[in-house]
Amino acid sequence: MSRRMLSRIGSGLAVLALASTTAACTKKSDTTDAEAGGREPGQVKVALVPGGSHPYFQPWKDAGATAKSELALGDVTFNETAGWDQTKQNDVLKSLAAQGYNAFGVFGVSPDNINSTFEDLKRQGFPVGSLASCPAGANKADFCLSTDVEVAAYKGAKAAIDAMGGQGNLVHLTGNKVDSNTQRRIAGVEKAVAETGGKVTLIQSVTDIDKDLQSAQKAVADLLAAKGRQIQGIVNTAYNPAVASAEGVRQSKLPIKVIAIDDDPTVLDGLRGGSVAATVLQNPVGQAQVGSYALMKLSGGCTMAEPGVTIDSGSFVVTKDNLDGYEADRTATTEALRKKFDGDLLKCS
Amino acid sequence: MKTETAPEASAAPPAAEPRPPTRALPVWANPRLGLLIVIAVLVALFSSLTPAFLDPRLTLAPLQADISVYAVVGLAQLAVLSLGHMNMAVGRMAALSTFAMGLAYDRLGVPLLVGLLVGLAVGAGIGALAGLLIAKTGVNSFVVTLALDFGLLGLVTILYTWATGGVSFAVQPSGLSALRFDTFADYCMGEVCGPRIPLVVPIAVAAALGVGLLFRRARLGREILMTGSNPVAAELSGIPTHRRVVAAHALSGLLAALAGFLLAANNGAFSATIGESFLLPSFLAPVLGGTLLAGGAVSVLGTALGATLTQVIYKGLNLLQFSLEELKLYIGLVLLAALSLDRLRAVLAERRAVSPS
Repeated sequence: MSRRMLSRIGSGLAVLALASTTAACTKKSDTTDAEAGGREPGQVKVALVPGGSHPYFQPWKDAGATAKSELALGDVTFNETAGWDQTKQNDVLKSLAAQGYNAFGVFGVSPDNINSTFEDLKRQGFPVGSLASCPAGANKADFCLSTDVEVAAYKGAKAAIDAMGGQGNLVHLTGNKVDSNTQRRIAGVEKAVAETGGKVTLIQSVTDIDKDLQSAQKAVADLLAAKGRQIQGIVNTAYNPAVASAEGVRQSKLPIKVIAIDDDPTVLDGLRGGSVAATVLQNPVGQAQVGSYALMKLSGGCTMAEPGVTIDSGSFVVTKDNLDGYEADRTATTEALRKKFDGDLLKCS
Repeated sequence: MKTETAPEASAAPPAAEPRPPTRALPVWANPRLGLLIVIAVLVALFSSLTPAFLDPRLTLAPLQADISVYAVVGLAQLAVLSLGHMNMAVGRMAALSTFAMGLAYDRLGVPLLVGLLVGLAVGAGIGALAGLLIAKTGVNSFVVTLALDFGLLGLVTILYTWATGGVSFAVQPSGLSALRFDTFADYCMGEVCGPRIPLVVPIAVAAALGVGLLFRRARLGREILMTGSNPVAAELSGIPTHRRVVAAHALSGLLAALAGFLLAANNGAFSATIGESFLLPSFLAPVLGGTLLAGGAVSVLGTALGATLTQVIYKGLNLLQFSLEELKLYIGLVLLAALSLDRLRAVLAERRAVSPS
């Protein structure tokens, strides 16, 4: 018998053997523990994992360290190596789990498929909080503690309309168009504009310019060159366009009212100098601190009264007038959030 | 699979002038062995630094699943490197194919295997189109596939927005979660359960065996290699080189589609971002494994080992909690060291082989 024929017969037998073995196999029932619980605070190791490196998340580092010492947690780590890639973020989460981290506060890279990652973590018995962004559709994490982006965009647009004197043309600058959160931001701005009864017109929503500062600067320069004299207000609902438009309007000396987002030093300087009319602040510190607290409680055996509930972590309009007092408001909101978890959101036996 | 090399294009030296006697290359001169040793050293190093590296459920099973994806990505690039071509659209071909799979599952409710076949057909089709453009126009493959990449980038976003209103299909075809979560350890015959190998691994192994057999045993594969080694000589020998170019690019598209499917299975979603991180690893794995950029020689086993090396480095550094900047820096340094050591080994082996006995 030739060698070729022998090898063919061999391969055929191997396939048959594999097929029959597979057919005879039975699947083990899932042995992974579905519920977390029973861990003392000292045994809880919290991982705070943003989607990648971004100035917004930097306060999570200190907030996590504060939570660790205040709550006497086993550990709190901050890992921003996901690089805005969902696959890498999944890998980072698995690596952290392998190192003994057992509670996760995650900003998912892709709201559209982060639920699969949350399910994966929960299958292994880890409590999970979706922080700073909620998944598209039903939330599969234990809870979502995030800025209500539609409300924040609405507040920003209202502040812009006030600064414009209640009339004129408004432009909205924002991030990734195919992100469900961007669609909600656009809806928030449109709602505020609709309430003016036609006195304010939203002449353009510019999307996909939050990837980096350079693309935002270019988009703002193009916008101001083309329509600068028709625009009375710009509302930003993403970080890079906010920094770029504050700088662009200051340099062009056009009488445009800019509403920024977050409290980057450039934005705060703009507020003090007058080139930024107002900024909408979010509450990253509260997200990390209260998120860690809730994860500790869930690890200790509490459950969510309503699994997957969404909680607004708060947004605040800051102008030159209340520039010095906003931190106190934020701290008060954070404290109120923690009480809300204790009072309504968590069920502890 | 072993290294496949096309026959030497140059004529053999005349019998009257025999070449000086050379020693056979020692065993350690095999580049695959070199890679294997580097991988073994790194595994030992990472395991001693952090025992979590050997955690079967949280480290080793996901590591095997990742290696499976990137080995197939490497094979997709290897298919055209065999010609001395490049496929710059390897990631976007994967994205378009997984869109077709997602659409088939979402709208037609087809079984997992049927959707996979639809995606593979789309991948092969778009690859064949690239091959056809290259063969007919004579434009460099780099330019053609780069242009295709730009075009597909826009097309994939438009298609996802049209079909889903977002960037991902919510559909979960039956069997996808088993591919994602299960290992053979979950399947038992009586008391005997399988090893902790994810279900996606055999798919990648089958792809590697198929590609290996194609280039080693099949006439088509040998003719592709000969076309890559010397297109003029191949043409004069009666090989339909244009058709071989189309075939190699179609194979590249098909394998990119398979890699996209494996990544979708690992991630649990058919989304527009699939393939975004494929381009650099697609070159890294075959080149580390000894495939020539100039064409004419490929190494399937080397590609699998190259993918393993990069994923082991990434996983190890991840487990050691390196910061973002350190992670990038050390991945670069470790790869550079691995390549340098490999080169040193090759040079030493060559010197030893040609030195008088």
